[in-house]
Amino acid sequence: MIHTGETVPGNFYKQFVSFFVFIIAAALLLAACDSGGSGETDTTVKAGGDTSVDNRTSFAFEEPAANLSEESLIKHTLGDATFGDVFVTPPAVVNPGLGPLFNNVSCESCHIKNGRGLPEFGNTGLRSMALVRVSDPEGTPTVQGGNPPVEGIGNQIQDHATFGFEPEADVTLEWEEVTGTYPDGTPYNLRRPVLTIVLANGEPLGSNILTSVRIPPPVIGLGLLEAVPEEEILAMADPGDEDGDGISGRPNMVWNNIKQTTEIGRFGHKASMPNLRQQAATAYIEDMGVSSPDILGNEPAPEIDEETLELTTFYTQTLAVPLRAETDDPDVPRGESIFFDLGCSLCHASVMETGDHELSELRNQVIQPFTDLLLHDMGEGLADHRRDFQATGREWRTAPLWAIGLTVTVLGQQNYLHDGRARTLEEAILWHGGEAENAKDGFMNLPKGERDKLIKFLSSL
Amino acid sequence: MLSKKGILVTIVSILFVLSCGGGGSDDSGGGGGGGTNDEFIQSIIDDYVDNVVIPTYDHLRERSATLREACEALEADPTEESLEAAREAWFAARIPWEQSESWLFGPVDFKGHDPALDSWPVNRTDLDAVLSSDAELTEEFVGNLDPTLKGFHTAEYLLFAFDVDELGAREFEYLISVVRDIESTSEELYTDWAGGDEPFGEIMKGAGNNSVFPSQVSALEQIIEGMSIILDEVANGKIAEPFDNQDVEAVESQFSFNSRQDFANDVRGALHAYTGDHPGLGLIGTGLDELVAESDPELAQRMEDEINDAIDAILAIPQPFRDAILDPDAADEIVAAQEACRQAFDTLNNEVLPVIQQ
Repeated sequence: MIHTGETVPGNFYKQFVSFFVFIIAAALLLAACDSGGSGETDTTVKAGGDTSVDNRTSFAFEEPAANLSEESLIKHTLGDATFGDVFVTPPAVVNPGLGPLFNNVSCESCHIKNGRGLPEFGNTGLRSMALVRVSDPEGTPTVQGGNPPVEGIGNQIQDHATFGFEPEADVTLEWEEVTGTYPDGTPYNLRRPVLTIVLANGEPLGSNILTSVRIPPPVIGLGLLEAVPEEEILAMADPGDEDGDGISGRPNMVWNNIKQTTEIGRFGHKASMPNLRQQAATAYIEDMGVSSPDILGNEPAPEIDEETLELTTFYTQTLAVPLRAETDDPDVPRGESIFFDLGCSLCHASVMETGDHELSELRNQVIQPFTDLLLHDMGEGLADHRRDFQATGREWRTAPLWAIGLTVTVLGQQNYLHDGRARTLEEAILWHGGEAENAKDGFMNLPKGERDKLIKFLSSL
Repeated sequence: MLSKKGILVTIVSILFVLSCGGGGSDDSGGGGGGGTNDEFIQSIIDDYVDNVVIPTYDHLRERSATLREACEALEADPTEESLEAAREAWFAARIPWEQSESWLFGPVDFKGHDPALDSWPVNRTDLDAVLSSDAELTEEFVGNLDPTLKGFHTAEYLLFAFDVDELGAREFEYLISVVRDIESTSEELYTDWAGGDEPFGEIMKGAGNNSVFPSQVSALEQIIEGMSIILDEVANGKIAEPFDNQDVEAVESQFSFNSRQDFANDVRGALHAYTGDHPGLGLIGTGLDELVAESDPELAQRMEDEINDAIDAILAIPQPFRDAILDPDAADEIVAAQEACRQAFDTLNNEVLPVIQQ
């Protein structure tokens, strides 16, 4: 079969249009400058700066940063293997170290295709990708400013165990439907998590114990966020809302367990992790029961060596950010204007510049992460009532929105927010409260067509 | 303030809509090139789904059923012959599975079927503990175990690491539950693509009308990306990891000495994905090769030749692979197989992909 595409006329048409567009654009630019515009993002800025890749497939989150040196690319490839390593019960020749208590067996078992994980618990079918953080308000923190662990459990419930050991608890997550109506009369449905935790001894978890369900976030672009200078984050903070825009924004100050000091937190749903190496070491020990040179846990010796920890960290630092989708759809720029007009960008800050970093590829990149890396009060609806360092039970770190439009392509479905309750971007917006109440209200008051345009814009990221 | 490019994009969009409006175009609304739906591209996507992916999964579920039957026959009458027959059934079931690794996306990934079928390494410490426990080894019990305690490689371990007289009642009980779990997972995988309320095959064929595949071109990119991933994985993972580290323990399918066949079938899957054909099942369809041939027939043929060269180069590695990695005389063949996969990878990404995206 021979395809009879209209390649030549198409190209001619584009050139023809481009010529006139250039003339008209030049004229209109002046008018736009005079009118002040609405603050859209600069589309010449690439989402992940020079790390960006043009890939909108389900493998889009598995690409190495586009600007890696040959040496870095080799290291990234080795890190890809360690990130995928499946751990088994020791003694074993390959990848020993699993457990005895754990949530899952490899990094990529939870971060599906390096994207977010599903709000799933259990052993049948889909296995635990989500986890429950716990703390005992009567307990004593093990690190300065940290969460007091629950006796016999720690700060995270491990709901799996190697054969012969009992998991700490059986976790069941169910959903309760919540209905609502837009001012224009359009109904909507949300769902709220209902958590049931039964301890190994058959008893329910004590009612005084604070719990917080977390799904794994996407892994892309994290090195860039690590390279954002602390001063840049602090400059966006406005804890007392001095500028009166209704948005505060506070940095979380968390414990660096290597430096044994407090510093700004960047990673995790409450920004409780200061850097990616600590994040990786913590995930190894907490999620997989694998000790490392940085965190031994209860193990007598590291079960992964320095090189493995370094490679996994490096891998998470050097994943590319996919470029925004190219589209001719005029709804997308309109949706973008709405995003700014509603004030979404006051927290989902569109442009940042990285500074110094040990990896040269991450330095001095202008990026569009759509986060300020700060904590914001998100209201009662989303509150977990569990403090995490300086984050209160109502505060969450602004989630980066870059590549959020690829979620359904990568994951086959959508689940957003810290516990995956939102099944669409629309539901995620509707859960916004607290400091984001005004923006949410603004969204709800838009005509449906305009609401859809905002979603289209988000889907183009 | 509006950026220059923002205005340009907006005006291009407006002019485009004005010029094309009312033409009944079926615009995808963004992603991967967008544009109107194209019957030719649609036929490539359709044949990929209907001639390659679904028949391969159908093949897998048939062969998984045969594996289960062979293992039941082995349990009923444990002889050298029945063990050999079960081993042959295992080899046969691996063929469609490995070929399907050229599209490790969709339900196989986000429904956890890949780890359930193909986790490696086998958790032998726990497996020994399970076998020596008094737990009832039902399919449900085994199904609920961690993926490293079930799937093809656990079945492989039980079928190939023991002689027939070393397999006791517990091993048989466990083996039967494992192969039943493989069969039911394969069945689910087939249904996820071909049946149910929202078959993934239909989602892919509906590219341009849904958000999973925002445009037809995005579906073609997905096909290419699936091929790329496996070509890279064979060259730089499956072969490189054990070869570079001179570590036989890092070899996939090491109990059955089936590694070389696994690699070759991985790349055969890529060939099927490229051509839209599944010659082994007598299915011939429209493939990416025909789209490439529209603008560059030489490239279309060269791409196919390079994939075939990669298969040949893999099959030229002396058997078994786990011994070859330690044999200096086999190093040239191993490196040549890696290079052939890398060559196909480079052509696919540097030459074929841009043609598809035009």
